[in-house]
Amino acid sequence: MIATRKVSRRDFLKIAGASAGGLAAMAALGSGFRTLSAHEAQQQQEAGSRVVYTACVMCPAECGLEVHVENGVVSRIYGNIHVPYNSGTVCAKGISGLQLVYSVNRIKYPMIRVGERGEGRFKRVTWEEALDYIATKLIEIKQKYGPESVIMDCGDVTDRDPYYYLFRAFGTPHTVEHGSICDTPRRHGPKLMFGGKRIEPDIMRPVLVRQPDGSLKNDYSYRTRLIIYVGWNPFTATRINYESRGTVEARLAGARIIVIDPAFSNTATKADRWIPIRPGTDADLFAAMLRYILENHRDDDPFRRYIDWSFKEYSQGWEEFEAAFRSWWDKKDPLNGLPYFSLEWAADRTGIDAATIAELAHTFGITKPAALVWGMNGIGHHYNGYVASILGTALNVITGNMEVPGGAIDTELVKSSKGGKTSGGDFLKREVTRIVNGREVKGKIEELHMDGYGDWPAAWDDVVGDYPRRFIEGVTLRYGPFRGHHYPIKAYFIRTGNPVITGSNTQKWIEALTAKDESGNYKVELVVYIDTVFLETGLYADVILPEASSLERMSLSDIYPVHPVLYLRDFVIRPLYESKTPYEICWALARKLYEKGDPDIQPKDFWEKYPTEEDFWNEALKVAPGRPNTGEPLPYPNLPKGYKLLGTPDSLEAGRVQIDDEKKEIRGEPLTVQWLREHHGVAIWPMSWKRFHGGGVLQTDSKKVEFVWDYTVEKDGKIERKGRYSKYNKLIEEAGETPPGIARLGWQKYPATFYWFETRWNPYTNPDYAKYREEYPFQVISGRVHHAMSGTQMVDWLGRLPTEDLWAPLNDERIVEEVIIGENGPTPTGRRVRIPRGTWSIGVIQMNRADGERLGLKTGDLVELETPQGFKTRGKVYLVETIRPGVLRVPLGGGGRFSPGLGKTYVFHDITPNHNALVDPENLSPIMGQPAYGDVIVKIRKIG
Amino acid sequence: MAQETQTRIRALATRRAFLTRFASGIFASLIVPAVASGVLDQVEAAPQEGAGPAPMPELPEGMNGQHPIERMLQDLQRALQKPVDQRRWAMVIDLRKCVGCYACTVACIAENKLPPGIAYRPVITETRGTYPNVSRRFIPRPCMQCENPPCVPVCPVRATWKRPDGIVVINYDQCIGCRYCITACPYAARSFDSGYFYSDFEGGLPQPYESLPSPEYGENRVRRKDTSPVGNVRKCHFCLHRIERGQLPACVLSCMGRATYFGDLNDPQSLVSELASRPNAFRLKEELGTEPKVFYLV
Ligand code: SF4
Ligand code: SF4
Ligand code: SF4
Repeated sequence: MIATRKVSRRDFLKIAGASAGGLAAMAALGSGFRTLSAHEAQQQQEAGSRVVYTACVMCPAECGLEVHVENGVVSRIYGNIHVPYNSGTVCAKGISGLQLVYSVNRIKYPMIRVGERGEGRFKRVTWEEALDYIATKLIEIKQKYGPESVIMDCGDVTDRDPYYYLFRAFGTPHTVEHGSICDTPRRHGPKLMFGGKRIEPDIMRPVLVRQPDGSLKNDYSYRTRLIIYVGWNPFTATRINYESRGTVEARLAGARIIVIDPAFSNTATKADRWIPIRPGTDADLFAAMLRYILENHRDDDPFRRYIDWSFKEYSQGWEEFEAAFRSWWDKKDPLNGLPYFSLEWAADRTGIDAATIAELAHTFGITKPAALVWGMNGIGHHYNGYVASILGTALNVITGNMEVPGGAIDTELVKSSKGGKTSGGDFLKREVTRIVNGREVKGKIEELHMDGYGDWPAAWDDVVGDYPRRFIEGVTLRYGPFRGHHYPIKAYFIRTGNPVITGSNTQKWIEALTAKDESGNYKVELVVYIDTVFLETGLYADVILPEASSLERMSLSDIYPVHPVLYLRDFVIRPLYESKTPYEICWALARKLYEKGDPDIQPKDFWEKYPTEEDFWNEALKVAPGRPNTGEPLPYPNLPKGYKLLGTPDSLEAGRVQIDDEKKEIRGEPLTVQWLREHHGVAIWPMSWKRFHGGGVLQTDSKKVEFVWDYTVEKDGKIERKGRYSKYNKLIEEAGETPPGIARLGWQKYPATFYWFETRWNPYTNPDYAKYREEYPFQVISGRVHHAMSGTQMVDWLGRLPTEDLWAPLNDERIVEEVIIGENGPTPTGRRVRIPRGTWSIGVIQMNRADGERLGLKTGDLVELETPQGFKTRGKVYLVETIRPGVLRVPLGGGGRFSPGLGKTYVFHDITPNHNALVDPENLSPIMGQPAYGDVIVKIRKIG
Repeated sequence: MAQETQTRIRALATRRAFLTRFASGIFASLIVPAVASGVLDQVEAAPQEGAGPAPMPELPEGMNGQHPIERMLQDLQRALQKPVDQRRWAMVIDLRKCVGCYACTVACIAENKLPPGIAYRPVITETRGTYPNVSRRFIPRPCMQCENPPCVPVCPVRATWKRPDGIVVINYDQCIGCRYCITACPYAARSFDSGYFYSDFEGGLPQPYESLPSPEYGENRVRRKDTSPVGNVRKCHFCLHRIERGQLPACVLSCMGRATYFGDLNDPQSLVSELASRPNAFRLKEELGTEPKVFYLV
């Protein structure tokens, strides 16, 4: 389909006429059509065409869609132009939602395991049987071990609320999303310093802006002068849809784009400059940039006025931070002997020459407005990503770029709120009693949390990467009222997630899910897999429940726009086969638990309170947009400044509101599902800038940007501890025990301000690993194959499309027997299909050509990668000029996929690399336990 | 040209009208399966031919510009007021903005229900240089809708021709599948439909979207193993069925980089006229004299 090839300039015109033969069709050996199933036939009876506005979930960008349905069948998927987030665009993957909905690899019925875990043998059961099985087991576990022995892992945040609501009502504090196996270190700085999460450039256009004449108009202009993307590849990992068009449009409007990434990503193709950095040294680069800026800033020289001191108006603690930062300048690095954070020091470590670093710091300091933006696969995947994230945040703040038009925006702080009571937070405040060391103790359910009061007190996102250990060892609480309480993990629900492939080391997960106790029973007694597609983790489940696909359920978008925008995920078609929506699944399970006498599940909280799915989501909408009326131009000049806004855009606009001066709230007419349907599915509240001034949208204790995270203030004659780390430090001081993650760094507690520590498994920066340099000469990083993520590779349209030298049609010819997800789980159909060589994209190992040639390798050679710990994976090398020598890049989740639910991708699992086969399961980053996927070194051996 | 393709449009009701008319019934049915059968009565049969053009999106007024889609839709409306032979459809692809995402490729496949092996708009990747001085660009390649199309005269049965508005079309019923045109096209924009189905590779189960009629040329053909367009040559037609009802080609609408523009070259006011006349616009293989109506900006 798409030929990826290297050509000379002269060849350009020729190639545009090249044959589309790369797109050779597959030849099928076998029969043709079968008749429609009863259900499909019924679907087709619905006559006529209709359009539904909804939110995509083929990836977490969740773009607004306009979906066309013809005769009950989804026919086409377009972008919803009324949603400014994607503004009518839609990616290849969003459109392919169509193929996922109708994939034969969908889970169609509830199933119960008949063989051993991992064998993949199941039998079809009714929902009644499946729910009965689950409810009986849950009640038994609750009685024997307590509800805290149950984990509800919702994989992705999207549509999680019904699950959170049910399991929190059931009594477990462990309702989880994938956050902590995603990129927590990258979010750490913004969270500590702003109470936010995600700094993005101000390039979402259009934005709705209040005009001097009082009207609201769409602003299409780009004011950004410079964007530096570090390890962030929005064109491929389209987590933030508008960064595709926004980046190229801002550039045409005069912005400079610099991409710092070991690999020449698609984003780098549109950059003015690509700087291939050594993996795991982003913090080093940022530290050198900050030092350069501090050393060279001159208030009186317009060419060196890097710092915009006005940041002090809305921040506190800079002096302490700066002093702590400067205190390193005289120390010498044990590995290279150079003073910390100096240009030479950073050059030695990052592999970027000193002049370039100086120029980068100067350019960033002098060009305004600008945004320094870092990403998931870069900073998010390294052991010391926290340091980089804090430094990057500080750089954006002191240069005056936060919240200025065309600058940087913490989108977490400005997106619309949603959820409210539907996430079940109130249930966590219930008081419970446990016997700890023979003593009866009272506390709140949330104080039973295995991370917050156990090994990871500063983990704002549950530490999924550490689950395997706890499946095997159980949990011992270290902090809070239940200190000393031990409990096992007995039930694991995994919904739309696939931790066996994505949640740190694959083998470790398999070991944990199949571990047995002395009497031969599985340690985790109940594993339930809930999804639309059948991924590897499903192979280890006892019960499989089919969840409705994203076009068959209702919920709300979860996106990162630069101002509040919220849209509806609506029913496009009825759930196919026997699948149910999250709400239906949870309400049905709640009924079962109630019938079986679970005292925590009460009709008044469930079907009596939210009798329909729409009622539930209307509740979730009550808190929208939930942001203050703040910034310039003021979104609603007719309403009090600084008050929290609630309600539909039109009621706020018209002033149909109640103003609560005590709570500082403006309550318009509540947003509802119906309102959204009547407005192209979307609610848009106005944009403003300077939202940090006067507290604005900041969510720190001081309502300022905080450079110090454990401090005291005097209030009414009382001394109070404040700052985001103070809470954890108090727990540590009370218990007299340091969390193991930071004990490993030699810390007693969380530092009050700037800190520094090295990443692990990096022979170029950490002296403990320098010895591996010769024998393990390659660093392995991962890239994201956006369109073929962990759960969408079975989709034919996507499976074929190559991406960035990571996912390429290097397949050999295979005759494969097809497997569908049938009544007995994965079932061979007896049909054989020939997949000709070079027609199906597979995950590959991207390698610098010179490296490959030195080792006598050529593109397509099968190699084995091996870490010092003996972890191995294999794959085909792809020799290209588009990666830094000494670095290998493989797609995360893009290889070694052994679930037959992966369709044609499955059959190539023996020649594709699984990144997480290599990851050190113990290398969980010290503060929030994120697996350090990017800290991997290997040696390489040709095997075919 | 005497032969004029009849573009039979099964027009859609306007979105707005649709929502007000059907929303409650449909949603109720989705939520409460018990009334599901009732909804079928409420959903009208597809509106008949001749309904008006698709509505404009309702976007807030721009303070310093206009949404490019809105502008192009207005351009389109103006063009549709004119007789067919006074329109000259053209596409402009800004290579500086193409991010290589393939949204257009897949949007087209989905729109036109293309079988495995056929893409009307592949995106060709061109990489140059050696590390660390590398560059890469993405070149989407739809049909050029040449002013002098070399593919047309070679057809022995006159199954392919250039419409008065410049779009080169194929009559599937007339095409005998000889593939001369494939060889003649200097841009490799034509492909042969060998009769593969996604269902061939999906357990033999029919994929419902594959069994839906394709909107191509407004003909609403359902693709089967034994009938056209299987055995015919196929190509991009600028989404003729969409433009004739006032909609933009699927690839233009979906484009993630907003890199693709569409409109009437005969209208000096249109966005494409403005862009195509820029000094940085060029066409592929100019030297052949084919006069493509796809322009690239570099
Ligand atoms: S970027 Fe993600 S959410 Fe948006 S259309 Fe693509 S898959 Fe859907
Ligand atoms: S104009 Fe239509 S047919 Fe042509 S490439 Fe674009 S989507 Fe495909
Ligand atoms: S959709 Fe647009 S940006 Fe993406 S490949 Fe096609 S032309 Fe390029």
